[in-house]
Amino acid sequence: MGIKMIAHLRNISGTAILALLGTTTLASADVTVEFWHSFGGASGEALAQIIEKFEAENADIKIDAQEIGNYNDIVTKLQAAIPAQRAPDAVIMEVTRYGLFADRGVLKDLTPYVDADPLKDDLFNFAREVGVYQGKNYIVPFNSSTPVLYFNKDIFERAGLSEDTPLGTYEDLLAAAQKITDTLGDEGITGIAAPGQFARWGLVMGNDSDLIDSVSGEIMLDAPNTIEAYEFMASLVHEHEVASPDGVTKENNGRDAFLAGRVGMMINSTGNYGRASSALGEDVAVVPMPCNKVCAVPIGGAGIGILSTSDSEVQDAAFKFISFAASPESNALWFSATGYMPINQKTAEQPLAIEALAEKPGIDVAINQLDVARGRPRPPVVTWMRASEYDLWQAMALGQREVSDVLTEFAERTRAEAERLKR
Amino acid sequence: MLRRITPYLFVLPLLAFIAVFTYVPIVQSVNLSMREWDFLSPTKPFVGFDNYRLLLDSREFWNALRVTAVFALFSVPLRLLLALFIASQLLRETWVSRLMRGALFLPAVTSTVAIGVVFSWVFSTDYGMMNALLTGLGLSKVAWLQEPQIALWVLIFVNTWKQLGYDIIIYIAGLQAIGTELYDAAAVDGGRKGHVFRRITVPLVMPTTYFLLMVSVIEAFQVFTIVDVMTKGGPAGATDLVVNMLYRVGFTLFDIGVGSALAVLLFILLITLAVIKSRVIGRKVHYEA
Repeated sequence: MGIKMIAHLRNISGTAILALLGTTTLASADVTVEFWHSFGGASGEALAQIIEKFEAENADIKIDAQEIGNYNDIVTKLQAAIPAQRAPDAVIMEVTRYGLFADRGVLKDLTPYVDADPLKDDLFNFAREVGVYQGKNYIVPFNSSTPVLYFNKDIFERAGLSEDTPLGTYEDLLAAAQKITDTLGDEGITGIAAPGQFARWGLVMGNDSDLIDSVSGEIMLDAPNTIEAYEFMASLVHEHEVASPDGVTKENNGRDAFLAGRVGMMINSTGNYGRASSALGEDVAVVPMPCNKVCAVPIGGAGIGILSTSDSEVQDAAFKFISFAASPESNALWFSATGYMPINQKTAEQPLAIEALAEKPGIDVAINQLDVARGRPRPPVVTWMRASEYDLWQAMALGQREVSDVLTEFAERTRAEAERLKR
Repeated sequence: MLRRITPYLFVLPLLAFIAVFTYVPIVQSVNLSMREWDFLSPTKPFVGFDNYRLLLDSREFWNALRVTAVFALFSVPLRLLLALFIASQLLRETWVSRLMRGALFLPAVTSTVAIGVVFSWVFSTDYGMMNALLTGLGLSKVAWLQEPQIALWVLIFVNTWKQLGYDIIIYIAGLQAIGTELYDAAAVDGGRKGHVFRRITVPLVMPTTYFLLMVSVIEAFQVFTIVDVMTKGGPAGATDLVVNMLYRVGFTLFDIGVGSALAVLLFILLITLAVIKSRVIGRKVHYEA
């Protein structure tokens, strides 16, 4: 019995070793690109389709795509993975937060790749610009967005608001939100979702200001127009009570409540278009961002960068994928499934994009906003500033501290941090 | 010779494990606490005690320490008192008490992240079960996780709910170890229930209480997951426990030097607390009747 068992075990282990050797041999024939991204749900499915098409065309390259979490999670995990030598080969990086990684030499300069690729001429100017830091190209945009104003047509109607209700200024937004809350508050419906960080940045820009000037790098957190914008946003929650505080401590709660039909309006990335359409169907409407003092919106989203630690063969394969993902065909698939803006000038000629523009009302709002879209700064201090802003926003929105005090102090700290990072 | 070194050979694997995963990181943390580093830079310049000075001068550090102290001060006694009371009620071996022990122990083996997510929704201001209950009773909503004076108490409640089952099981083991002859003697002498509990149960369960006190204080100073999932230290720092601050400084603000300094200070604090506890309470621990 014992001898039989040992012989059996020997056979099994022999087979296992052979299988293992076989796998290793097969795997070594391909180049595998480990790719970290932040897309789940419909976006994740669209990305999977793009990867599938790429792998079908490039049998020798395998894209090992891993959904890591949101942009913050990616930054955190990447930061820990680098000293542990466990970093991926390619990574999605939010457009304001890759500067630190470029600055520290973590990201590879993609300028030679881009210069030799059709993308050099095909990308829209805004898309090319978001990937450039200190004159070099570190990321190629994949999912570009601007914030837009979504509203729920059914809630508007029930609140006695027409679809043409003016929503172009802070005052207009407040009036509509107030009407919804007053009329439907008893049903647990609130007027507007508390703005998330991207929306806050957009509302500040629409008030003719910025958080950090993208050209000069000047810290503008304590500029009068920035303070005014934050005062308005905070008042939605704690003064007028037309936005739920739940969305202040957890930004996604506001979006989720909108998708669940519990909130009348939401300012969020155009990348939520697909999700909003599938959740609310024909009840969802999209309009441009309010132009309180000027019409201006931030360009958001992310691009794909390549790690400088990867082997050159893997880097070449990674760029091949990046180029494919930004090609008109892939970009049209991505645009039509998610609502993220086209980044390739030839995307609009693709049947999928033509169909989306014709059949999905509102999907073009972000594209039409491009005339007033501004790039955002990306020096290393932006990462620090964005990570620190959440707590301060909570203090302001929940009425615990005066907006002007908070922003004045925050501006000083950000200036000091910028100096420290420069050193 | 071989006979002499054999015991050491047996403990060597474990020692090596502890050295690699405990002592080396501690030494490395002390080293990093005196350097300026953001995980990405190739150099780690030595800055002496600058990181400690920065921490001790910062409002955030003292706030985190205060919040953690309040958390520990209220959650630990609450846990131990409740656990001792419930354990004394579930001591008898009946099917009901066995069922109750299992039910109460379940949260202790449930994923903390799952608990955090569920309770985030339970305590949501506009969409939560608690406020639905309150408004159903004609009361007004409470901003459970947005009101700084309340959010920490919600975390204390959730943490107590999660850990209570473990404390109960340990207490039951401690209570069952007390010989019945002592209770029989007390009954013969006409001892009242409260008197018996105070004079027999409490002193003889002291080793268990001491163990749980040690463990729960350390645990209270290391709470992170519940905070990260439910509040991220907010609103406005009201639930910013020390480990949450450590994570924020080290992993979202990229300041691994200051983060390590905070870890070292926390380590020193916990050692100091353990020594104080052993000096003050350790003497009152009776191991025999």
